[in-house]
Amino acid sequence: MTSFLASLEHASGGLWPYLVVILFGFLPSEVWRWVSVFLVKGLSTESEILVWVKAVASALLASVVAKILLSPSGALAAVPALWRWSAMAGGLAAYFVLRRSVLAGVVLGEAILIAAGFLAR
Amino acid sequence: MLFATMLGIGGLCRDIGYPVGAAMLSTVLIWAGPAQVLVFGSIAAGAALPAIAIAVSLSSIRFVPMCMSLLPLMRRDAVPATTETPAQPATPVWLMLLLSHYVAVTAWVEGVRRLPQMPQGERIPFFLGFANTVLLAATIATGAGYYLIGQLPPALAAALLFITPVYFTLALVAGARRMIDWLALILGFIAAPVMAHFALPGLDLVIGGVGMGTLAYAIHRSWGRRKAGSA
Repeated sequence: MTSFLASLEHASGGLWPYLVVILFGFLPSEVWRWVSVFLVKGLSTESEILVWVKAVASALLASVVAKILLSPSGALAAVPALWRWSAMAGGLAAYFVLRRSVLAGVVLGEAILIAAGFLAR
Repeated sequence: MLFATMLGIGGLCRDIGYPVGAAMLSTVLIWAGPAQVLVFGSIAAGAALPAIAIAVSLSSIRFVPMCMSLLPLMRRDAVPATTETPAQPATPVWLMLLLSHYVAVTAWVEGVRRLPQMPQGERIPFFLGFANTVLLAATIATGAGYYLIGQLPPALAAALLFITPVYFTLALVAGARRMIDWLALILGFIAAPVMAHFALPGLDLVIGGVGMGTLAYAIHRSWGRRKAGSA
């Protein structure tokens, strides 16, 4: 049985990859979304718990962003840290200067990063 | 905006010899970049499947605060009949479960930013339209990544990866209205380097997020009380 399971872990033929995605990816992840549906039953949008929960969700996302900038993976790691932060600062500046346009901020931040990426080589 | 991640996932899936359909199915069903990277990355590293399932589940706990703050904006409670209007049923559970599936970072940042300004009746159609469009595009990006990754010049590959942080930061800033939003944003940002040093790897984000979110809420509460006291 164990050797059967072990052989499955490296299998890539037939329907097995699809089953892996469903059993070991979809179900363990989706269960939290279902749990949330039942947790929010009866809570109003004004409830204090939701104010806290939203603060937690925002802080989490901000942490994720900071982590990507601090210790990036793959090709982004090849761009020096100073330039990564400059591109982010440039994007933020563009957002505020250009009438709070998210698109303008993303475009300018990206432009700085691409320029830095070509210069760094 | 999450297409860069999805391009990368397509490439990752190809590396372990899985078919392109499995990569695209993972985007449709799992709909969570980090969880998908975990699945294919861990298989590449030779991890046991049950261990992968646990890691995936841990990484997706973050959907609980996201779903909990977004779903109530769309749910309608049952309204009893009055003399003028007929009774309205509450949003059915199956619809809430369906809506919850689309909750991921992109749908969450756009949802909390836009839904509160919309009339109740337009929120669910808007959310489904928006989320399905993003999901479809991301699925196509996953398929494209399966064939394209590795052929891009490094500067452009870096730019693809940079879309995620720059877009999410700006979307958070654009969605921040009250002081508590700014506090959570700034504290969460600061938490990342601190937690990377002190907390267990893999749990650092959850601990930092819950800790800093709670701190932001505590400051918000004491501030509100002081204002109420002085008035």
